[in-house]
Amino acid sequence: MIDVNAFLFSVLVFSLIMNLGISLYGIFWRPSLVKKIIALTILGDTANVLAIVVGYRAWIAPNRPPIPPVLTTWKPTAADLSKFSSLAVDPLPQALVLTAVVIGLAVTVFLVFLTIQVYRLHGTTDVRKIAKLKG
Amino acid sequence: MEAGILTIGALAPILVVLAFILPLLGIFIKRKVFFHAYAVVVTALIAAATTYNLIVVWREGPQLYAFGGWPPPLGISYEVDALGAVLGALTAWVMLFIAIYSCWYMDKETGIPYYYTLLLGLEAGLIGCIYTGDAFNLFVMLEVLSISAYGLVGFHRGRAEAVEAAVKYGIIGAAATTVYFIALVFIYGSYGTLNMADLAIKARVMAVATPFSGGYYGNIAVAAALAVALSLWVFTYKSALFPNHFWLPDAHPEAPTPVSAALSGLVVNIGAYTVMRFLYTMFGSNSVLTVAKYPFRDIILWALLILGIVSGLVGALMMIVQEDIKRLLAYSTVSHVGLVFMGLSLGFSTVPLAATQEALTASLYHLINHSVGKALLFMAAGIFIGIAGTRKLDGLAGSGRKAPLATAAFFIGFLQLMGLPPLGGFFSKFLLYSAFMEAGMPIVAVLVVIISAISVLGYAKAMYSVWFRPPAKEFKNPAGITLPTAVVLFLAVVCVGLGIAAPYLTSALSTTIANSLMGKGVLSYIQAFLKTINYLSPP
Repeated sequence: MIDVNAFLFSVLVFSLIMNLGISLYGIFWRPSLVKKIIALTILGDTANVLAIVVGYRAWIAPNRPPIPPVLTTWKPTAADLSKFSSLAVDPLPQALVLTAVVIGLAVTVFLVFLTIQVYRLHGTTDVRKIAKLKG
Repeated sequence: MEAGILTIGALAPILVVLAFILPLLGIFIKRKVFFHAYAVVVTALIAAATTYNLIVVWREGPQLYAFGGWPPPLGISYEVDALGAVLGALTAWVMLFIAIYSCWYMDKETGIPYYYTLLLGLEAGLIGCIYTGDAFNLFVMLEVLSISAYGLVGFHRGRAEAVEAAVKYGIIGAAATTVYFIALVFIYGSYGTLNMADLAIKARVMAVATPFSGGYYGNIAVAAALAVALSLWVFTYKSALFPNHFWLPDAHPEAPTPVSAALSGLVVNIGAYTVMRFLYTMFGSNSVLTVAKYPFRDIILWALLILGIVSGLVGALMMIVQEDIKRLLAYSTVSHVGLVFMGLSLGFSTVPLAATQEALTASLYHLINHSVGKALLFMAAGIFIGIAGTRKLDGLAGSGRKAPLATAAFFIGFLQLMGLPPLGGFFSKFLLYSAFMEAGMPIVAVLVVIISAISVLGYAKAMYSVWFRPPAKEFKNPAGITLPTAVVLFLAVVCVGLGIAAPYLTSALSTTIANSLMGKGVLSYIQAFLKTINYLSPP
């Protein structure tokens, strides 16, 4: 019998790598600035999904999912704490993703503004047509 | 104060707040002089605070500030060792002069509150990158720095070239920082921590267990190699090392001149500094990167050495063919960054530690020389561009004769970068040369000399145009250039001082490197971290 979990995990890793490749291709080789920005957001989302995957915690038993990292007892004993740490997911990757999403939003908004400005000045967003700088 | 001194933790957040109230103030206050005074006062305060940090760190060793009182690996911590303190003070002082110069340069422009918002934001990013003790916070601060830098490059948003340079810089820069985020995911997934001191412990597989970060996951050597390889993109991009140098020559001509000074003098330091942090503090010579089956660290350092050499040669050669003075200075930056990276890559496992220390000292010394010299050159070039009304070397011919004092400073700046004794540039290049000789790499040592020799051609061309060539046309006598002339003259005096004080500076910087990047320094970095944990959560 086929191991569904392992199969799905392979699909996930494969699609992450494909996404990385596609987004880097888009950023470097697509001539349109709008498509470059879309590729940039795909790259950012791929990184975020990767972070979430790293923070994934497998189910402890088929009917016991991991719990959110919130301690619900007011004065926890040592037993409470060890049970908590054996069940709770790691919140840090999600905090990282939250920060990265917000930063990504700011960067994207800024780049979109620049693209609008490029369009106003040149009438196109094709980098081959606006290229005046020699690098 | 066991929880850390406030001037370390508070600088970056306060700067961000001070920067972002400026647009609000701009609604109510219309007088330009207020914003000039505001920026100068703020940067002066920051310069004083960073100098205080430097003194404290020099006397008492690395200082750590834990935000919110969380014990370090749990919360964000800022940790300043000798290297960070020196570079922080350098950044803040050069930024102060850039702000003073902006009072003159930006006075005729509109949108001054936004300009200073971005400039102070840039300083917040720079200080944050240098002071942070947390690899993820470094990502955040890199983005603060980058957004401000993109905005400043495209500040003249009505000019097609400025917007194009900004968008080119911005898109690739955003991709590079995102790749750094992927590198952080690998580090976190494998080491379970993002704190730099904690990573330094765990990458050396030391038996110091902190109560907050558990074991490892997966192959830590491969994860570290992958993470360093991915993060090097953004570091070399920020420091404009070949082949990631393409944004710099485009961004400079279009950015306002003080911004060019900041980009060339300060932003490129960040890349070199973070590479030192990653390859010496965190994944140093006795870490998993070296002792693994494959010598990953040596491969990475060799790659950096080769890129440094290529960058030095390309920058020096491209400088000769430039017609635009700011592009010429930009390629000179590429060349000098190459020299700095050559110095900091001399940490192979086969090289004696004394040579590594000497090369790192040379690198740091050269960074300081280059920051002061290049800021001086851009600001002086701004004066000449103001006189001649063009950036072309042909149009600038003879314009220096209208501002002889600025020309004198301009010449001192060039001689500094060229490496003429007794100016600072000579001693740092000589130190680099002797470090390579000591390491048994005479060919690379000779390449340092060759790079300097080629770059002389470019510098001579600029100096010749500005002073010796007959004037291109009858220039008007410049009015009101006392302030910028005073700034560039002061920086010229600093250049001379950096050279005259060379014996003292060399030993001081050597101590700095020994106290921050060599074995003993890394140990004290780790000890400051453990001390804070013990203080904040007693065992």
